[in-house]
Amino acid sequence: MAEMNDRLRRLRLQATMLEAWVSAGWIAPETPEYSETDLARACLIRDLREAMGVNDEGVEVALDLLDQIHGLRRALRRVGDVMHGLPEPARQEVLVILRELDEA
Amino acid sequence: MNEDPYDVLGVKRDASQDDIRKAYRKLARKLHPDLNPGDKAAEEKFKAVSAANDILGDAEKRARFDRGEIDAAGNERPPQPPPGWYRDHAEAGGPYASDAGYADMMDEDELLGALFGRGARRRGGAGGAQFRMQGGDIHARLAIDFLDAVNGATKRVTLPDGSTVDVTIPPGTREGQVLRLRGKGSPGIGGGPAGDLMVEVSVGEHRHYKRRDDDILLDLPVSLTEAVLGGKIEVPTPAGPVMVTVPKGSNSGTVLRLKGRGVKKRDGSRGDAFVTLRLVLPDKPDADLEAFAERWTAGKAQNPREGMEG
Repeated sequence: MAEMNDRLRRLRLQATMLEAWVSAGWIAPETPEYSETDLARACLIRDLREAMGVNDEGVEVALDLLDQIHGLRRALRRVGDVMHGLPEPARQEVLVILRELDEA
Repeated sequence: MNEDPYDVLGVKRDASQDDIRKAYRKLARKLHPDLNPGDKAAEEKFKAVSAANDILGDAEKRARFDRGEIDAAGNERPPQPPPGWYRDHAEAGGPYASDAGYADMMDEDELLGALFGRGARRRGGAGGAQFRMQGGDIHARLAIDFLDAVNGATKRVTLPDGSTVDVTIPPGTREGQVLRLRGKGSPGIGGGPAGDLMVEVSVGEHRHYKRRDDDILLDLPVSLTEAVLGGKIEVPTPAGPVMVTVPKGSNSGTVLRLKGRGVKKRDGSRGDAFVTLRLVLPDKPDADLEAFAERWTAGKAQNPREGMEG
């Protein structure tokens, strides 16, 4: 526990703040301990509120949109990986279709 | 990284602390790495901006910098937090990943659903990867009357499981056409959309009408008197009866075109009806007619088979 408090201090985070963000649904720890992802997300929330002057309503919107962007980036990367794994004739076929779409 | 902090924040030497705070916030909102997940250059700029703000944002440090006691890099504290930027965690599809940005596309398309991956969860959900699948299509057949196909109708179909569905037959439906009723097929799995109901239509014959695409063909009996003298007669069509003028001296086989009296089209207009006149003599032999034909010289002289060769 003391270790975590030390960690939080170095990240310029406060335990009470994190608890408030959990109740707001901004952070959703899956275990009683905060994961690295939870802490990184908390640092983002800290930056949004302090460095960028975003108010609480704005934080909610920003997080929601960021979650969507990361979901999309993940989906896009998957599509990209599949494209790269295609055999050459199929890749060429996709490229031709994309070029036709661009010209249409 | 050792640029002049005033230049980095884009403020003048005599800017107020408030101006500096505003300038920093504006740049931070634009450059924060978590708001620019794919942009490495933004990260470098953000570090520089943060370092500049560390000095100028603090009135005491700013005074020391202005006096030359510390240089621009003197108190640089790298803003990178120990867990790394949030963006480095987010894309792995952790508990915060949301498919709200494209869930609608997955619903429509099985291929996209497979490509995008179904691992992403909606925030606040119960957790655990969901398996979603569209339900299967159900196929059914429906026999309809000729006129229902031409004019459109609503028919009830009984499905294999005993349930019934009302099917709208659009005007102009053709033999063998398959009507797709979205979402009326088997229910989906795991919240996936239901399949479709596919109804194949067979169209019955009509006693008088034949169909050629959007046109209606009709044989119309006319009497000798009507053919020779002409006149107005009533003609039945799928769009209702219509009065038609038969020209004087119309022959058997003459085709009259009734515009807009055929099959209803998608755009609301109709095809045409083509009426082929068919000369019909009186049911019983008529003495007057026979007497007239006996003494009708021009009739005897006419050879309708002229030019016909075996």
